[in-house]
Amino acid sequence: MIRRPYGLFIDEEACWGCRACEVACQQEREFQEGPFLWVWEDGPRLSGEEAHFQYRVTVCRHCDDPPCQRSCPEKAIWQREDGIVILDKEKCTGCGICEEACPYDAVKMDPKLGKASKCDMCFERVDHGLYPACADNICMAHCIYFGRPEEVSTEMEMKRKRRKRKEGL
Amino acid sequence: MEGFRYSNVEREMEFRGYDQAVKSHCRMCHGGCGVIVLLKDGVVRKILGDPDCPINRGTLCSKGLASIKLLYHPERLLHPKRRIGPKGSGKWERISWDEALDTIAEKILHYKRTCGAESIVLGYGTGRENEAVIYRFANLLGTPNVLTAGHFCYGPRIAASIVTCGSIPVADYDNHPACIMVWGNNIVISNPDEYKGERFSQALDAGARLIAVDPRLTRIAARADIWLRLRPGTDVALALGMARVIVREGLYDKEFVENYVHGWNPFLERIEPYTPERVEEITWVPRDKMVEAARLFATSKPAVIQWGVAIEQQNTSSDANRALLALLAMTGNIDVPGGQVLYTPPKIRTVSEFGAHRMLPEEQRAKRLGGDRFRLAANFAIINPRFVWEAILEERPYPVKMLFFISSNPLLTRANAMQVRRALEKVEFMAVCDFFMTPTAELADIVLPAATWLEMDYIGDFWKRHGYILPRRKVVQVGEARSDHEILNDLAHRVGQGDHWWPRFEGALDWILEPMGMTWREFRDRGEDLRGEVVYRKYERRGFSTPTRKFEIYSTLLEKWGHDPLPQHREPPESPVSTPELYRSFPYILITGRRLPGFFHTENRQIRPLRRLHPEPILEIHPDAASKEGIREGDLVLVQSPRGKAIFKARLFEGMDPRIVSAEHGWWFPEEEDPSHGWERSNINMLTSNDFDHCDPAMGATPVRTLLCRVSPWEKTGRPE
Repeated sequence: MIRRPYGLFIDEEACWGCRACEVACQQEREFQEGPFLWVWEDGPRLSGEEAHFQYRVTVCRHCDDPPCQRSCPEKAIWQREDGIVILDKEKCTGCGICEEACPYDAVKMDPKLGKASKCDMCFERVDHGLYPACADNICMAHCIYFGRPEEVSTEMEMKRKRRKRKEGL
Repeated sequence: MEGFRYSNVEREMEFRGYDQAVKSHCRMCHGGCGVIVLLKDGVVRKILGDPDCPINRGTLCSKGLASIKLLYHPERLLHPKRRIGPKGSGKWERISWDEALDTIAEKILHYKRTCGAESIVLGYGTGRENEAVIYRFANLLGTPNVLTAGHFCYGPRIAASIVTCGSIPVADYDNHPACIMVWGNNIVISNPDEYKGERFSQALDAGARLIAVDPRLTRIAARADIWLRLRPGTDVALALGMARVIVREGLYDKEFVENYVHGWNPFLERIEPYTPERVEEITWVPRDKMVEAARLFATSKPAVIQWGVAIEQQNTSSDANRALLALLAMTGNIDVPGGQVLYTPPKIRTVSEFGAHRMLPEEQRAKRLGGDRFRLAANFAIINPRFVWEAILEERPYPVKMLFFISSNPLLTRANAMQVRRALEKVEFMAVCDFFMTPTAELADIVLPAATWLEMDYIGDFWKRHGYILPRRKVVQVGEARSDHEILNDLAHRVGQGDHWWPRFEGALDWILEPMGMTWREFRDRGEDLRGEVVYRKYERRGFSTPTRKFEIYSTLLEKWGHDPLPQHREPPESPVSTPELYRSFPYILITGRRLPGFFHTENRQIRPLRRLHPEPILEIHPDAASKEGIREGDLVLVQSPRGKAIFKARLFEGMDPRIVSAEHGWWFPEEEDPSHGWERSNINMLTSNDFDHCDPAMGATPVRTLLCRVSPWEKTGRPE
């Protein structure tokens, strides 16, 4: 049974698309790997007076019963009790099956290493009481949260209400 | 979360075995953000945001986070070099600092003796916190010619603000503006002056209303309560139209206007023709939207305008700045909490004092290139670049023989790149100080290796107008790189300016801080920012620092210098309205220079994690226009103006009027070994104009943001050749 004391959450509505999180992720790995999250553009679309343009962030959701884990023939992907899904690079052969299996597009092949790569929520940092690199307050929008799911969702909701949202945002 | 703390330095050190942590101040753009640098065995391993820094509060951008990749880049210039083949041959030899600086000093003294100090032009690009030392050196040398981006970036804001109200009013995000009008600015992506995106973002999260003025749909525009999609280059008409609505509806601050504004009645006369109907016709902004935005801005108290460089790179540069200042003043938002504040620095020597402008002899000042034409610029020691190129190529009004560029890549960044190229090829002697062998550096005689922000001591944000200063501390030394400040301090001694400089540049930092009774080391070791006292409504006691002591909506100084004292709309030099003939063969309005994460003008294209964010030069084109021209997503397209051409990759972009296309600036290809590094292929300045008649009449700003072009598919596939 997975007990989730914490998680990584992104409020996409607040994201400005600056992509500092991607570079923070790479810096944490001394630019040898990553990034393990990707910011992309949704839009722009204009329909009459309605303008839509927002950023989305793709990152591992650390699912319950992760499809990537189930799909891996090498058993290179495992899940900790706190829910963090980890890919063991030593065991990975680079077959790419997990990339196909992930419904969120959050697993990518690293062409340099010839292996799969994905976010591990900086579990070693977390175990040392450090925020994951992307969630360590680098985000100018403060839209990357690491914390207890219920606390994060309360805070996110509060901020959303305060922002005077235009319809259709 | 419990037990967790942002930028937890102690735990970071424990976790990775870092053995040193140094607080400093990033300068991957103009400067601004506080950082903590973590090292192991003398090597920088990680950059963290400093949560105590008032500018960024711990947040950082992609550039700051990739600083290590600049610092230790394998291709960085790490020692001085001398060219040993023809210009552009890429043949260089390593020389010592003494040899390099002695050669430069010898050339300076030679040209000063034979052609006059004015034949030597010093230059920098956008401000890299080296402005004060470069001006000091030039003024003491006796040359009035410092070639900067100041004619069309920040300079117009500063100059227009100073003549209008004594200093530049900065948005006071701390005190909850109720409305933010973002005008031609993308503060969350660009490298804004003064405050960075974090404060803006927080102000929105706190509930500020948002108006966006931008021809392109940015995320800011998408989040805005009102988005005004103006025709490029019509900012002044839009602002004056809003001013007229505010007056007509009695929404202006009568008390402020009566007591503190100079020239209200002539201003009313000036704005009278800007009726909503006429403004709609000029700007393409539906009148109801314009009126609605004017009302929202005028009735939200306090309100701010976040503006930037886009309106400055137009032929209406100074008037656009002045029109926005007028909007702020008439709505009573100047120098009030949460409005636009005239901050004062701590009690230190100012940038202007350090720049030694008073030491430039009057007869030399009179020789400032273009000084009698662009008089607003000349009064702020700013020149239009074309004068320099012409002085080299045609030796008019006198020959320029030597260029010394520090952190500048004019081949990519200045209008009419072909003319720049010809001038750089012809100039007798050129020295360039930079991080890499840029296309400009490849044409130099001597190149010098510049220190990054991690290799220098400096008083960060010394030149900014938010009132803060922050210590930038030298953390490491890589190769023989030296800071621009140390280089000029050393060179000054070699050309006989020694009496006005210091044995080491640290002496200069002491001198700047002296009025506060603090030395550089004390400031550095204190490790915190310092801010001048924040006092609001200073005008109530002492008026504004203008000739009339009032807020000069009608500028007496511009009038004195022979320029229009009131803002007015002028058509862009090329537009469907001003050049309908040309528009038939060049049927798109080309806007340029939208800001991209990771780059800073021409910089960072060799820094892999940043180039990864945006690998190729992009032209945005509306899907309707693309289909008309037979262009598909990802196609290579040829963009042409009456002056030149460049190649970009097409990106279909629905977020702007189909009559507009948008191209990026600053593109070159450091990965190409040929010394030209593909400088002209995707260089948008191959297309831009620097005709004097096209420039802003007071500031000489080149209108690189608005011109006409045509687009067509580029037949070849693969990499653009």
